[in-house]
Amino acid sequence: MKRFFSTYLLFALSLSIYAQDNLSIQFDYANTLYKTGQYFDAITEFKRLLFFSPQKKYSYDANILIGKCYKAGAKFDDAIKYFSVAELNTNSAEQKIEAKFQIVRANILRRTTNRALEILNELEKEISQKQLLDSVNYWKGWSYIFADNWKEASAAFGKIKSNHELKKLCDQIENDKVSVTFTKVISYILPGSGQIYTGNILPGLMSFGWNILGGYLTVNSFVEDRVFDGAVIGSLIWLRFYRGNIQGAENSAIQKNIDISNKALRFLQFEYKGAKP
Amino acid sequence: MILLLKNKVISQNLICLIILVFFFQGKIFSQQINGLNLGASPESYSAASDGELYPILSSAEAEREGGLKDNLLSTGNRLKFADYLFQQEDYLRALNEYREFLRYEDNDSVRYRLAESFFRIGRFNEAADNFKGLFFGSDLSDEAILGFYKSSFFKGNYKEFRELTATPIYMPDKYVTEINRLYFISHFMDNTLPYDTAKLFTAFPDSNRQEVKNFYRSRKFSEYKSPVTAALLSVAIPGLGKVYAGEVGDGITSFITTGLLVFLSVNNFDHDHNFRGWLFAGMAALSYGGTIYGSAASAQIYNAGIKFNLDNEIKLYFEKRNYFLPKLEF
Repeated sequence: MKRFFSTYLLFALSLSIYAQDNLSIQFDYANTLYKTGQYFDAITEFKRLLFFSPQKKYSYDANILIGKCYKAGAKFDDAIKYFSVAELNTNSAEQKIEAKFQIVRANILRRTTNRALEILNELEKEISQKQLLDSVNYWKGWSYIFADNWKEASAAFGKIKSNHELKKLCDQIENDKVSVTFTKVISYILPGSGQIYTGNILPGLMSFGWNILGGYLTVNSFVEDRVFDGAVIGSLIWLRFYRGNIQGAENSAIQKNIDISNKALRFLQFEYKGAKP
Repeated sequence: MILLLKNKVISQNLICLIILVFFFQGKIFSQQINGLNLGASPESYSAASDGELYPILSSAEAEREGGLKDNLLSTGNRLKFADYLFQQEDYLRALNEYREFLRYEDNDSVRYRLAESFFRIGRFNEAADNFKGLFFGSDLSDEAILGFYKSSFFKGNYKEFRELTATPIYMPDKYVTEINRLYFISHFMDNTLPYDTAKLFTAFPDSNRQEVKNFYRSRKFSEYKSPVTAALLSVAIPGLGKVYAGEVGDGITSFITTGLLVFLSVNNFDHDHNFRGWLFAGMAALSYGGTIYGSAASAQIYNAGIKFNLDNEIKLYFEKRNYFLPKLEF
């Protein structure tokens, strides 16, 4: 009897160590799939868990993870839908804030910057802790980065810390960018100079050459009292090259700024180690 | 441990315990593994598609693979979950679950929903194959044949679809009108409308017949512009071809530009400015040639625009009415 009792006791204890209900096994399995990057299967298993979980024990966690899976698959609309469902199933204020941040991050990636900023502004009014306010400003900075507004991004990161590394990066990008207006203005004064200023030396020199030729032909016609010739050559040739030079300078400046932004975004995507949307 | 082993009773208990623990541990873990590995992998899709469609497992295999009958992956639960996914319009996951269900149990309704899932995600070849599996000996055979024809229609090879409909052996009495209508719609889609319209118009409901007639007229007698005529008109008067092709502003501009360049050329030759004369003559020739070519291109663009708009209009019209197909409840 004594032997049987001790055996039973030890056996019962051992079972309690390994016993796991089906739902928690399912959650662990789905979570493993998520962690190993099998997002499609992970979504299926999380959905199965939610479908068979009458007490909604896993509603928050499963919905958040489904959202993350969709986000990883670049399906941002679906991700936001599930993050929003998670937000409705939160058990604490922390979870609610976390769900909101996830919605913001998906909005940043979806490039719906206004919606991201709207949510962050609402959050800013609701919270008072320094750490959370820093998070709000951090994601505001990222929202502005994705909207190609590096100046506002720098201001947002500056609210966290005056020498925040992303603030430095944003400032550098803002300094590297060329002014489209300035490029156009110098092209009005000296044709081709705008393109040379943005680094396109050969097109700039060619534009300068065409304008000199057009100008010479026009002026020469007027000097020789061929007013009609001068007017036609001036309008059909010179003016065409002059306007082309200004448009070329503008396009060149815009393209240079896009290249600078893309280079910075590539750096942030592949080399920046901090939290990313 | 040595002290424990000295006690014979305790050591016997310990051995029993270890055996029991390992036995149950193994069982629990095997349940977990068996249960959780049932999700279908993309490889298994193709494997099933290539060979026999969704063979049912033997009872021994089912017991081995299924393990727990009451777990989340039992056939009943799978079906409930699959139906839920289907209702949520998550067809890709739904078909995965239906496919897994069919490994254990055969069910025509589930087979139909599986085929319908393939259809709704645009995998028309697989949909047609799965509908085909329900052609004979099934209560849903009429619906399956309709499903097969609609899958063939949506593949976009309308000629092949029409050839299929020419096989009356498969035509279900219940849906012959719908399939016949799809046949005529296919003519609208690839612009191969017949001249004999008696059967064509009667295939559509009275309420839509007038609109279908209008589409027929637009398709059959569209006012296309001839690129050759446009080019010849511009040869006669630069820019007239563009006006003919509907680009009035461009036509007038071309006329003025070419005329001005010709005038400048003649004027310079008259004043013995030969270099400038030849320069403007060359420019005038370029402008003239460009206008002729541009006129032909304008006519082609005009025709492409008419065709594109009409194609879209017809497609949207039929899409909005679900190609006059019945909405089946299942």
